[in-house]
Amino acid sequence: MTMFKDLDPVLHSQLRLAVMSLLITEKTASFVFLKEKTRSTAGNLSVQLEKLAEAGYIAIEKSFKGKKPLTTATITKTGIRAFEEYVERLRQYIDRQ
Amino acid sequence: MEHIEKQMTAQESLELITAMIREAKTGIRQKSFYFLLWGWVVVLAYLGGYVLLSVGYDKPYLTWLITFPAMIISFFYGSRVQKKSGPATRLETIMMWAWVAFVITILIFIAFGREVNYHLNALILIASALPTFISGIVLRFRPMILGAVVFWIAGIVCFLITYDWQLLVGAVAVALGYLVPGYLLKRDEGL
Repeated sequence: MTMFKDLDPVLHSQLRLAVMSLLITEKTASFVFLKEKTRSTAGNLSVQLEKLAEAGYIAIEKSFKGKKPLTTATITKTGIRAFEEYVERLRQYIDRQ
Repeated sequence: MEHIEKQMTAQESLELITAMIREAKTGIRQKSFYFLLWGWVVVLAYLGGYVLLSVGYDKPYLTWLITFPAMIISFFYGSRVQKKSGPATRLETIMMWAWVAFVITILIFIAFGREVNYHLNALILIASALPTFISGIVLRFRPMILGAVVFWIAGIVCFLITYDWQLLVGAVAVALGYLVPGYLLKRDEGL
């Protein structure tokens, strides 16, 4: 169980990790894109995006596309570093087993 | 995605990361349809033009009208796929705009055909290389990158030969540049 202490708690959560994995590839994605690809509910996704933004891992931008509100999330440099670190620790843990 | 967060094992975390990265790339597949549709349409337009020219018809370029229904089919197919697989990924968007930019470019060439001495076959083949090359890079698909190289070479050749031969070179270039990569891509999509 020592592994879970080493792992970043912000990333070690299903939906937040799913969002970060998508953003690693996409860099920037709309709320609708993230919701459909993670098959999450809007409410849950909003909460988890807030948490990622609080940690400084993503930047959330709210704008309008025509009259429709458009929320986009962009991964930050801190987010990329944290994600790489997380994957590295996972790998170390699996290697030790 | 579940509402309740359960503690993930290292294995589950890695699987989730892999699944999501794959998810971001899924839209990139299912692209063979466009290459096969346009490959056949353009090959038929070229060969049809050659046949019409051979029998002495004075408007062999009319075979290009076949591209209009192909545009409509592409549009409806694209919107259906979008509905089914969700919003486009960043790479898909890049690919789509590369093809839109290509269409704009060739329309300008056609409009100003006289200014370029009607070297349209050469110019269009050379312009075709660009979106094909970008698609090959995005899809990480070497046959398509080679297809782009074929377009560049065929374009150069078309500057040097007569109109009737240009139609045959164009047909061969499109068969190699769209149809061969298209069928190989289709085979890979089925896997």
